[in-house]
Amino acid sequence: MQHDPAMMAQARALHPNWRDEDTILARLAQNAAEVPNQVALRERDHGIWQEYTWADYLRAVVEFAAGLEARGVKPGDVVMVIGDNRPNLYFAMLGAACLRAIPSPAYADAPTEELAAQMEREDIRVAVAEDQEQVDKMLEARGRWQHLSLVIYDDPRGLAGREPPGVAGFDAIRAEGAARLKAEPGLAQALIQRSTIHDIVVLMHSSGTTGAPKGIPLKHGHVLSGVRNAAAAGYFQAGEVHMAYLPMAWVGDFIFSVGAAMELRFTVNIPEASETALHDLREMAPTLYFASPRAWSAMLTRVQVGIAETTGIKRRLYDYFMPRAMAAERARLDGKPVGGGLTRFLGEWLIYGPIRDQLGLARVKRAYTAGEAIGEDVFLWFRAIGLNLRQFYGQTENCALAVAQKPEDISLTTVGRPFPGVEMKIDEGGEILLRGDNIFDGYFQNPKASAEALQDGWLHTGDAGQIEPDGQLVVLGRVSEVVEKRDGTRFIATYIENRLKFSPYIKDAAVIGQGRDMLVAIVCIDFQAVGQWAQEHGVPYTSYAELSQASRIYDLISGEIAAVNAHLPHGLSIDRFVNLHKEFDPDDGEVTRTRKLKRNVIDDRYGPIIEALNAGAGQIDFKARITYENGQTGSLDRVLRLSDVKGAG
Amino acid sequence: MFYRLSGTYHTSYAADRKLWKIPTDRWLVIALLVLALLAPLYVSPLYLGSYVLPWVIWSAAALSLTLLMGLAGQLHFGFAAVMAIGAYASIHLVRAGVPFELSLLLSGLISAVIGAVFGGAALRVKGLYLVMATLAMQYLVDWVVVNVPAISGGAHATLRTPAVSFLFLPVESLAARYWLALAWAVLLTVFFMNVKRTSFGRALVAIRDKDFAAAVIGVDPFKTKLMAFFTSSFMGGVTGAILAFCFYRAVTPEQFGFNVSIQLVAMVLVGGLGSVIGSWLGAGFVLLAPIFLTNLVSSLAASGWVPVSQNFLSHLPLMIYGAMIIGFLLLEPLGLAKIYDNIRKYFLVWPFRHARS
Repeated sequence: MQHDPAMMAQARALHPNWRDEDTILARLAQNAAEVPNQVALRERDHGIWQEYTWADYLRAVVEFAAGLEARGVKPGDVVMVIGDNRPNLYFAMLGAACLRAIPSPAYADAPTEELAAQMEREDIRVAVAEDQEQVDKMLEARGRWQHLSLVIYDDPRGLAGREPPGVAGFDAIRAEGAARLKAEPGLAQALIQRSTIHDIVVLMHSSGTTGAPKGIPLKHGHVLSGVRNAAAAGYFQAGEVHMAYLPMAWVGDFIFSVGAAMELRFTVNIPEASETALHDLREMAPTLYFASPRAWSAMLTRVQVGIAETTGIKRRLYDYFMPRAMAAERARLDGKPVGGGLTRFLGEWLIYGPIRDQLGLARVKRAYTAGEAIGEDVFLWFRAIGLNLRQFYGQTENCALAVAQKPEDISLTTVGRPFPGVEMKIDEGGEILLRGDNIFDGYFQNPKASAEALQDGWLHTGDAGQIEPDGQLVVLGRVSEVVEKRDGTRFIATYIENRLKFSPYIKDAAVIGQGRDMLVAIVCIDFQAVGQWAQEHGVPYTSYAELSQASRIYDLISGEIAAVNAHLPHGLSIDRFVNLHKEFDPDDGEVTRTRKLKRNVIDDRYGPIIEALNAGAGQIDFKARITYENGQTGSLDRVLRLSDVKGAG
Repeated sequence: MFYRLSGTYHTSYAADRKLWKIPTDRWLVIALLVLALLAPLYVSPLYLGSYVLPWVIWSAAALSLTLLMGLAGQLHFGFAAVMAIGAYASIHLVRAGVPFELSLLLSGLISAVIGAVFGGAALRVKGLYLVMATLAMQYLVDWVVVNVPAISGGAHATLRTPAVSFLFLPVESLAARYWLALAWAVLLTVFFMNVKRTSFGRALVAIRDKDFAAAVIGVDPFKTKLMAFFTSSFMGGVTGAILAFCFYRAVTPEQFGFNVSIQLVAMVLVGGLGSVIGSWLGAGFVLLAPIFLTNLVSSLAASGWVPVSQNFLSHLPLMIYGAMIIGFLLLEPLGLAKIYDNIRKYFLVWPFRHARS
């Protein structure tokens, strides 16, 4: 059709193994033809699960595509999709892909300025928004970017019948599409077949830790190759029950909830709201579950808090069986024989099984974590209750599917071996390089960055790593993050921070020491866990800020940091720390939406604190900057205590 | 520990309102039903006839009463009289040649009409005054039954139940009588659990909580209270007939005296007002605990463990029994049903203290 022959030839040369007609949409059509009545998607709505079969799915996608085309969307247009996970937003993404337009999911909590900047960069004309709140943001963004001509909303609440100009309902677009399909027989078929494997199916974005986010276009072929590699190695199986609770703008959600779901006929389940995700998880009891190390850790904290306040017999049973299971799991990872058949059996019946059930993980066969290092206690604990938790390693640029642990090579420090079909090597600078059909073909409209990231077909991940003698990969941290203290000691702050965050009492931490004499830490306490501790130990508090400054909480955190120091090489121990009066917040710009630290912001904003820590002061009057919900800023005077770490020096 | 809730989800509101949503509960109900059905096969006739059978029938009676007292909040201290009407009516109907199945229904209807007439008092009085009105019914019915020879055959006469068959199966053997009683009790149980979810059940609860507030939201207290007495008396009447045909097989007026009414109220209160499982547990407790305690105390006395006089010994089980009732009600004023509920919840949230920790 409108495919440019020269570009097609170039694309085909890049991926000689790909067949043109082998697209995600073709997989959708095939599922709808072969198992039209099988449930493809469920969404919990007002307490019950609404089901969509594969036939419903295909119809929704095609009708929306036809409607979107009638509204003037052309191949190559970028369509923004913003909101929490909703069936209609998934339909919208694939509907746009039918037209060879490029769906670009955005984080639901992104502020208007970020969105407007993205629209300007990517020339976005059409946006699909979840609800009135997102539509309001779009309308505000239109003040800066007048070319946003059409906003399509999903949830009609507060909008239906009173749409501002340029706003239309998802159902209205679908109805227009349905009318077109009726008038033009053959259009439905044509829409599915229009795109090829070389077309971009989704436009993701780098997290933007440094500078503006880069667009990362993934083609049908990248996603399908990644999913097939993973399936070949047994990381996914056909017909998994999957919870789609992670942000749609994160690459993993697209891979799991769309790519793998189409290829392997997953049942994708969408929770009612992010607040009910854990409850809905238990109702659905998925077979495949992915969560970030932070989420696993939060889950463990929830259990520990629950056990701390439970009644006598239950707690004693937990205290009897859990340490034994942890010890057995530790022995198993060390390759030692594990005994205790009866203990295991009783524990399974009394503690491990019920906890898995309470968490909604009773049917999980494949549990994964990735993104950053996971704490030893967390990792062991979940494996000890009988969950086959494994780590993998990947980035948006390689569809998040690059390296993973096989059931037989579980380890805390390594992340496993490359997937079949993925090549891996470490270059002279210690950087991890990857090559394979799941690696993207370059950043969106950014040849300079593309040339840096892709050299001779190898993706430069920017991660420092090393390969163990048995072929397993160890990820050390970002190459760019290796910094030196004044005395020349090299360290990666993230590495130390992650170890600090393994403590249940520490939610976030920033370690600062580049070009300085000592390492200092800015600590954000975990309000739930520390609050519970404070209740048990009679420490009165009214707010996060007050709790964080209590002297006994300082002792507690100091002990936790000292425990981490004990495992760090000499010269890398943390000497002094401060408990911050608030958590790091993406709205304040201290962390990204995926909760990665923005170091320049922290250095800048908390500079006085860092100086005072280094100078050895006991406390500091700090003028805290506050960003209110409406975007206004103010400031508040706070006195923060600064403390030495026990036994450091 | 026993409960597994994950993977229980609903795709329609109808499914969400199922009676037993949790698989473990469902299995428990099925297991109990199978055990109850097969009881004649593994329980000796002595125990079946003197413990299990009366337990089943009195559970049905407690269910009938708890509809009135627990759901609708109308006190009734003359429920034995309602059952007496059902028992005598059914015997006379069968003797007059009416088929047993039909006479069960008719005796229920007669009880319902008479019960509703006395219940009419509830339209004007509440609380203790209603207790007086229902006590009046107890004594009036007692007096009529005793003093009208056409009904009882005389003050000291015993009226034998004729041989009958239910749906062409003779209700003669112990097992057959047990199964008929069980069928009726199960029917009442299922009816009761469902009535709680109907508009009628909700109207009853509204009347119980505050009748004039119920009237404000459109529940007609006159109609609803009469319906409550009518329904409850119908259930009680049929239960009386079942009691006569399946258990006593020969009825005398003393079997439906005031003390029986009090015992029924005790079953409902000890079990837990308005609860299905409470009716079963309460009937079991009130009926079987004295027997069990008597056996226990006498066997202890026989082995010389309780060195007390023979005279005192005969009162000891009753004292323990009374203390147990007070103890249970002090421990959990909402009755045995609430105790069961507490235990169930203890295991439901296992190993935590409460849900959603």
